[in-house]
Amino acid sequence: MTYLSMSFAAAFVLIALMLSTWQKLGMGKDIVIGTVRCTVQLLAIGYVLQFVFHSNHFGFIGALLLMMISVASWNASRRGARLKGIYWLIFASLSVTEIVTMGLMILLGLVTPIPQYLIPMSGMIIGASMIVCSLFITQMNQETASSRGEIEALLSLGATRRQAIQDVMKRSIKASMIPTFDTMKTIGLVQLPGMMTGMIIAGASPIEAVRYQILIMLIFSSAAAISAVMISLLSYRLWFTKDSMLRAEQVN
Amino acid sequence: MTTILQLEGLGKQLHPPDGPWLFRDFSASVAEPLIISILGKSGQGKSTLLRILGRLTAPDCGSMRLQGRDLSQWTPEAWRMTVSYVAQQPVMLPGSVEDNLRAAALLHQRSFDLTQARQWMEQIGLDHLDWNSGAQQLSGGEKQRLALIRTLLLRPAVLLLDEVTSSLDSISKQATERLLVDLHAHSGTTILWVTHDWEEARITSQRIWFMADGRLLEDADSRTFFDSTRTEEARAFLRPSHLLAESLEGAR
Repeated sequence: MTYLSMSFAAAFVLIALMLSTWQKLGMGKDIVIGTVRCTVQLLAIGYVLQFVFHSNHFGFIGALLLMMISVASWNASRRGARLKGIYWLIFASLSVTEIVTMGLMILLGLVTPIPQYLIPMSGMIIGASMIVCSLFITQMNQETASSRGEIEALLSLGATRRQAIQDVMKRSIKASMIPTFDTMKTIGLVQLPGMMTGMIIAGASPIEAVRYQILIMLIFSSAAAISAVMISLLSYRLWFTKDSMLRAEQVN
Repeated sequence: MTTILQLEGLGKQLHPPDGPWLFRDFSASVAEPLIISILGKSGQGKSTLLRILGRLTAPDCGSMRLQGRDLSQWTPEAWRMTVSYVAQQPVMLPGSVEDNLRAAALLHQRSFDLTQARQWMEQIGLDHLDWNSGAQQLSGGEKQRLALIRTLLLRPAVLLLDEVTSSLDSISKQATERLLVDLHAHSGTTILWVTHDWEEARITSQRIWFMADGRLLEDADSRTFFDSTRTEEARAFLRPSHLLAESLEGAR
């Protein structure tokens, strides 16, 4: 696909803009910003990837992975703005998830440790884990508010913070992992995932594409579990004050 | 003998740092095991005071000593096992009636005192309950009594009771009062009891803390308070018309 033929894709944006104007949705600004950012970011990462693939230098690969984890941590930490230090805890969870899953894949010989495999797969793992962390924090915020009585009843019985929040944590971990496993149940029947579609368009055989997709889905399951358990164990203290009272916007 | 509980200048602000004070300069000491009723109009901070004593809410000023040791020398867990709070709105922990009764034993890996649990359940009028039934299915009054027994089985030295008889019929209420008075007589448990029911306070308590005008206005033995109260506020509080309004509110 040439840049010229790609520019024809602007027609799709025009359709969106026209509909927005006609229906007075007032989304023109969002559509334009979205289009520009998406194009610029993807083109930029395309050139960066090309450069990294050619150089095949571990320093560059590491830097790219670090950037991915940093941006993902920042994005997920916005859900817990009032939780002090949550950014670094998410950063740690995502890093461990990435190291364990990619490390295992390389050790088992499932992928060759070259940037063409490492970077796109890491991107998918980090992206999926980011959503898990983000869901966990959102769920914990809701659960600690709605189960306040339960947590305080346990604290009043002399429970430690961990004991008092154990059930709430479990429910939040579950809630954050459910979408991953729901996707696994319907994948192929409802949605054809992007990676597989991309490989098929680029000329790979559907069977080859599907094999990689299965691999990545199975990795997602363990990535979801690792990141959810890690972030929960690292972060549950943040919902308490230092003398282990449940934090509140207001009490009474 | 060391003082059981010593409160020095406790205060709680509604919207720190500049908001009005709910109460302040609250100082009192409990030298021997007593049943103390905390009386006062709604909105004087009686429940908040109990939550502060139970270390569920942080005071904005003041200090507390328990059994001669400053608050800072206690872990929050040890403090709450000694001074335990029972909320006005009873919260059942997930699971059965028995799970709730066993909660304290399970949290602290102690053996469960089955005989004592049975005896208290009978005394408080809950002997008809099937211990395997779900605790969430109980009526409001049953939950309130079960929550109380759940805390009693922890055997705290000081009990903080927030209107724990408010949703009970008169027979259950009397049974609960009798159980608490017996407990105090036999095991020397100190009971701090927030109530709207002055008759309950008069029957059960040896001492009254009367809160008004954002402070502890009277700290007197029960007979003195009811027979020859010092302040105009307390006299107004004890007038029949006011008591009716308060007890209606308490029953709500």
